[in-house]
Amino acid sequence: MSKTLQGITLKGSAELVAEFFSFGINSILYQRGIYPAETFSRVTKYDMSLQLTTDPKLKNYLTNVVTQLKEWLFDCTVQKLVVVITCLETNEVLERWQFDIECDKTAKESSAPREKSMKAIQEEIRSVIRQITATVTFLPLLETACAFDLLIYTDKDLEVPEQWEESGPQLIDQSEEVRLRSFTTTIHKVNSMVAYKRTNSM
Amino acid sequence: MAEAEGEVEWELCKENIQPLRRGRAISALHQALSQQQEGTTSAVNQQKQAYELELRMYDGDDPLDVWDRYIKWIEQTYPQGGKESGLTVLLERAVMKFTEEKKYHNDSRYVDLWIKFTETCSDPLDVYRYMQAQGIGTMQASFYIAWSEEYEKRGNSRMADSIFQEGLKCGAEPLDRLQQFHKALQARVCRQMMTSMNDQETDDELSEPQRASLAELKAKGKKKAVAPVNRVTRTVGYARGLQFKQPVGPSHNSRLVIFDENKEDSEPQELKLESWAAPPTAKAKENEQKPDKWTNAKLPQKSRFGHSVVAPPPKPTFQPFVEESDQPPVVTPCKINPAVNTVLSARKPRHEEQTPLKRLQERQQHMQVQQEDEDKSGEKSMYCKELLFSGVTEFSFEELRAERYRQKCSQRLEAASSEANSKEEPHASQKD
Repeated sequence: MSKTLQGITLKGSAELVAEFFSFGINSILYQRGIYPAETFSRVTKYDMSLQLTTDPKLKNYLTNVVTQLKEWLFDCTVQKLVVVITCLETNEVLERWQFDIECDKTAKESSAPREKSMKAIQEEIRSVIRQITATVTFLPLLETACAFDLLIYTDKDLEVPEQWEESGPQLIDQSEEVRLRSFTTTIHKVNSMVAYKRTNSM
Repeated sequence: MAEAEGEVEWELCKENIQPLRRGRAISALHQALSQQQEGTTSAVNQQKQAYELELRMYDGDDPLDVWDRYIKWIEQTYPQGGKESGLTVLLERAVMKFTEEKKYHNDSRYVDLWIKFTETCSDPLDVYRYMQAQGIGTMQASFYIAWSEEYEKRGNSRMADSIFQEGLKCGAEPLDRLQQFHKALQARVCRQMMTSMNDQETDDELSEPQRASLAELKAKGKKKAVAPVNRVTRTVGYARGLQFKQPVGPSHNSRLVIFDENKEDSEPQELKLESWAAPPTAKAKENEQKPDKWTNAKLPQKSRFGHSVVAPPPKPTFQPFVEESDQPPVVTPCKINPAVNTVLSARKPRHEEQTPLKRLQERQQHMQVQQEDEDKSGEKSMYCKELLFSGVTEFSFEELRAERYRQKCSQRLEAASSEANSKEEPHASQKD
């Protein structure tokens, strides 16, 4: 992938975006304390240090998801990826990280690579992840033990793979929504957003 | 596009936004940040003034409500906190205002205010004990959770656990929340113990070769019989250790015993014992005397502690403050206090001079004294002092009078309009 100075292909774009989700989800899980901080290790990626889980089960799960996602990205059939954070005890949805994916389906027909430098894309991805980290300034403290769930919105006609099942949108009622930055590979555009329970103090 | 700019704004200011337990309303945050750039706008000031007025003019049966709303508004409007928000002062006043109101003692709003107030104090544990003694929040799960968290923060998980036990014993509500947090604590402690055990193993492995590098052969194995391979490193370890500890003879033994984990445990415990004895007697007495003198006396002590780590002379000057004769002359208590003091003095010397808790106790005494004084000398303030100095700003008599006048006017208007209405009605009935 690092060699693609000449442009972005559909395959490369799918890989890039999938990779972003792998790091992005790890960041969210770390920042929001869904898993204990000790189970993460630091790696350098996109010129910044990020936390990756070392928990074998979680690692395995995420790899599976990302591989599946990559396929869908390549087919341009994925619309959204949502990380839902729920309270373990009450199953109440507390936070919802939504990544809207816009696919340029014309890329499937014409295989001509798009012109956008790797550096520029990485710069954009970096600012998205930075913003994810910065959200602690306004997100409520997750006081209880929480679990997370991944939802993927795809085109309707898609066959559901074995490991996946249909699910509800798991929305938060009375939520506060904050749009975060977006990035684009010119083939896939990812808009991010976080929703959280509105404070009743206002 | 405006929204996008707002986003950048919060991200740029992220270091200056204090995270709130309940999170922030993003719209309020955007507003506050944009106003900050333009300087404090009149809108904020007006709103503040309105709250201040409401504090004074409220005559319903739930005065706490105004304070509660005001404080929450301040939190959202001044994301960076700080002095200009007046939050600390306001919290303190709010908390003090209702100490006598038994009906609020287990009101979750009031307890939350106390917990927020405690977080601004330099000695949160004392405040929690004070609350317990006063029966404030003793039926609220949140009180025990906050208290226990404070202990946990200091690494004293045993006390943290016993706080939960206490809460369960008292039957604090909501019970399931208390249990949930208790379980979470236990899980954390378990995990910590596992990792610290691992750490200890690695520590031993690490530290022994380090000592070996400064090798000096002296056979002196006190602790336990060790395998010959280890012996070299062990004895060297002793030699090094002795060099460091030679001046402090008695503590030598205790040092050997203490592991990291235990050290963390024992320090707060001693602190606890010390302050159990202190607040009711020593502190109260000390504050009865002039607080000015008291601060003068304390500062040099602190600096002496800060400079010389183990200096015997400051100890006697320090002990009268605690007024504990049975305190053993061990170094440990001193070790704790200077550490706490230096940190605090670096942050805000004002806190050092007079902690909110002290002020609180002082105020109670002051009120008693005042009453006695009034009885004795017959002096009495014949104006509504309370109304003038409520909230964070001071009101003048004129402002209060103007507000009363305005209220009267609006009442008159209402009366007039209702009169007009009532006049119309018979008119209508006449028609029928």
